[in-house]
Amino acid sequence: MIEAIIAGLTALMTPQALLFMFLGVIYGLVIGILPGLGGVVAMALLLPFTYGFETGATLALLLGAHIATIWGDSVTSILYSVPGSAKGLALCFDGYPMTKKGQAKRALAASATGALFGGIIGAIFLALCIPVIRPVILALGPSEYLIMALWGLTVIATFGEGSLMKGLTASILGVLVAFVGMDVVTATPRFTFGSDFLMDGISFPVAMIGLFAVSEMMKLTIKGVPIVDRTLVKEESTVMEGIKDAITHRWLVVRSSILGLWIGVLPGVGATVAGLAAYAQAVQTSKTPERFGKGAVEGVIAPDATMGANEGGGLLPTLAFGIPGGESMAILLVAFIGLGVVPGPEMLTKNLDLVFTMVWIIVIANIAVTVIGLGITPWLARLPSLQANLMVPIVLSVCFVGAYATRGHIEDVIVAAVFGVVGYLMDKYRYSRANFVIGMVLAVMIERNLHISLTLYGGDFLLDRPIALVMLVFVLVTAALPFVRNWRRRRLVAAGGAAS
Amino acid sequence: MTRHAQENVASVLLLALFIGIIWLCQDFGPRARLIPLPLAVAGIVLTLIQLAWHNFGSTAQLQIDMISVQAPELPVVEAPIERIPQKKSVWRSESGAYGMVAILVAMVFILGLMPTAFLFTAGYFLLTGYCSLRRSLLYAGLLTGSMYLLFVVALQMQLYHGLLAPLFN
Repeated sequence: MIEAIIAGLTALMTPQALLFMFLGVIYGLVIGILPGLGGVVAMALLLPFTYGFETGATLALLLGAHIATIWGDSVTSILYSVPGSAKGLALCFDGYPMTKKGQAKRALAASATGALFGGIIGAIFLALCIPVIRPVILALGPSEYLIMALWGLTVIATFGEGSLMKGLTASILGVLVAFVGMDVVTATPRFTFGSDFLMDGISFPVAMIGLFAVSEMMKLTIKGVPIVDRTLVKEESTVMEGIKDAITHRWLVVRSSILGLWIGVLPGVGATVAGLAAYAQAVQTSKTPERFGKGAVEGVIAPDATMGANEGGGLLPTLAFGIPGGESMAILLVAFIGLGVVPGPEMLTKNLDLVFTMVWIIVIANIAVTVIGLGITPWLARLPSLQANLMVPIVLSVCFVGAYATRGHIEDVIVAAVFGVVGYLMDKYRYSRANFVIGMVLAVMIERNLHISLTLYGGDFLLDRPIALVMLVFVLVTAALPFVRNWRRRRLVAAGGAAS
Repeated sequence: MTRHAQENVASVLLLALFIGIIWLCQDFGPRARLIPLPLAVAGIVLTLIQLAWHNFGSTAQLQIDMISVQAPELPVVEAPIERIPQKKSVWRSESGAYGMVAILVAMVFILGLMPTAFLFTAGYFLLTGYCSLRRSLLYAGLLTGSMYLLFVVALQMQLYHGLLAPLFN
């Protein structure tokens, strides 16, 4: 194994590999910051340029770009509450309030450092898990994935923004929107009204552009003032504070990284769910959860650490079984075919040096992104103080081109506009947009795994799958625990009050 | 219209939406409506509870979320729901924002993406008085040029050229 680790690093120490990684990182940062274009688009667009080069260099270009998009997505979430892509959503909850409080530099630096630590921890765990992960992955089936998706739904309560009823309603709306289009299980067109365009469903990145970017620009137009008025709120934080925050909350980073690695290992779950789960985990384990949503730095560190580690996790099923951990890993599989690499169990035995090349790419690319990110943070932190009249037309123009570029359908521009208005109204009447998105993300996973479970094991599938049953009990207990704890505390307080 | 009335209108619209979804679900097979139908019913129940609470209960009772549950030492605060009529200027600026988005979409369909980006940006700068005509054109040109370089030249994307494009071909 030591030889494989050294051989993996040596493969990257060529001028071509280093140059490709640098180019990939810069390109990934730019793509990540653009709304609607995330890691998947970044890798897909690079694919035609990867044939005919060294294997290490090709992987450095693709993975370097993909890893850079993670922090690129976080930047716009923190500065404008506009996620560069779906996975940047969790950063809006506390990153944006930090910006409004004049702590943009601290938030960006904490985000970059959290992602770096997450990436490195994820890569180390990936290397350690390679020999033991195979039986664990094989033990999980659709029923277990269904329970995990249901666990994801329990985080909805965390993003209630006040009324739990409105929060749940928003998540139901999100789930229903995700069902627009052709149902692949029953071949039934649902809520399409005879439209060919709607057969493909509502594009997730386009909905995100509308819900967050367009609606935020509408809010700016109405208010007519910058996101941060520097005459009222001075930028007083420093990059160093953000780095220290990530080090101070090291156990949060470790917990979030392991969570990210685990979610990455599960095929089809994805970084969006990982980021949201990390945020919920940070709230649930905090001693002061009331600070969240108002600019708590832990709400920035946890999602970024998780998403950093998620990439390492996503590589495992991709390499070991040829089952992509997510969309970006599916594109990596296509690149493997071009390179003549066959994923499968042999990757973890005969081609171990190639696996470690990818582990090293994750580590080095994360370091490069963080160094560049910390270097440009002071300039990025100035952007929210730009005048609304400058921001609105530029961001809206880029958003609409981005919405079109997602799938090449002009109708997606209308979808972005409609979701922009919906997002504005949801924000105004406090129906959580985050819950809406969580519903959208988990809907397909829940429906698909429920159908497969019913087909394979029948109506009482939980009795046939003891692991799923245990997981369901765990989900119910963890969901109920805070309420029970609260009820007991209130009873104790009431008893104390009566006694005194 | 008061904020209270607006909230009621929003709830009624949601009710209508969920009822419409249930009606549409009748055309689907049992498996295709396995999740959407119960969800729409749940949506109706939740909206009715919200509506009832909003009109007959305390707004503080609606403030239940995981954070408040986990931080019980915090006092429960009444939700800051405005009950005073909104100023006319808010309605005007909101209508302006909706109009802006509608105009932008219409321009994209008629003129295409790149000309719209140029005209919308330059027009917005001019109409809001952000800068002079010359500077507006310069900034809009820089933005459009950058987007063209990125999306068309670097990423080799085929952009939409608008309904008027055939007239110029």
